[in-house]
Amino acid sequence: MPTLITLFLKFSAFSLIAFGGVNALLPVLLELAVYQEHWLDLQTFSDYFAIAQAAPGPNFMTVTLIGWHISGILGAFMATFAIIWPAGILVFFLQRFILKIQDPMRKKTVQYAAATLAIGLVLSSAIEISLQINHGTMAFLLSGITIAIVLLTRWHPLYLIGLGALLGACGLI
Amino acid sequence: MLGICQIVPGPNVTNLAVCVGSRFCGVRGAIASVLGLSLGPIFIVILLALLYDHFSYLESVRGILRGISAVGVGLIASTGLKMLKDEFHYPPSLLVVVVVIIAASYFHLGLAWVVLIASPVALFLAWHKAKR
Repeated sequence: MPTLITLFLKFSAFSLIAFGGVNALLPVLLELAVYQEHWLDLQTFSDYFAIAQAAPGPNFMTVTLIGWHISGILGAFMATFAIIWPAGILVFFLQRFILKIQDPMRKKTVQYAAATLAIGLVLSSAIEISLQINHGTMAFLLSGITIAIVLLTRWHPLYLIGLGALLGACGLI
Repeated sequence: MLGICQIVPGPNVTNLAVCVGSRFCGVRGAIASVLGLSLGPIFIVILLALLYDHFSYLESVRGILRGISAVGVGLIASTGLKMLKDEFHYPPSLLVVVVVIIAASYFHLGLAWVVLIASPVALFLAWHKAKR
């Protein structure tokens, strides 16, 4: 039970600093769950990350799976709720406030600032996560190919997930 | 509305669900849309986790997951890079991106510290960008 309370409190706090969404939060989650609290090992974390990527729906499923690992259904819901509620309540009250800002300068300033923060956090998250869970040249190559395909073509990400699964099943990654 | 949800921290999808839901039916609408959006996927992902518990000993399953996670990393990086393209219209704002990456990935500062250090720079440059 103390574990669940720790998880709930930490994830709730993360919710309020997760600029750039849960993807930007992944290194922090990894650090907490694997290295600080030893809730799961690195391999399980990266497997959960993969399952969350392949599963349909919102991109916070890694959080759900960490909760699941700790204490089943209750843990899964607790973790998910923790990551959602603080930001949800914040946006509920903030939306009216922001919509009321008449001055376009202030509006734009806040918007631009948040965007640059989010970009930096998402990119550094990708760097850190790749260093932790990509093992070997082939994995990094596949990540690179993914980036190239997303930026240069209009492929749906699901095809790329399928490609990754196929290459992995052949034992290439 | 999408703009608001992008500047608030937290899961973007559920934030958007709160915005849209509350527009229609206040607090109840917000709760309903968040639940509607996440309940189904949560059960699916738990189902996948159950399968994982049973079959993760198979080398092919491990391979598949390694492949998918490498793609997943690439997908996250490309989300960031796509957004980065827009920032080249005002190159000074790239400084914020660099500061964040150095603080987080090189000095390994906690997320709260990174946000604290980078947000004054971000606000200052954003103000200049908006002034143009």
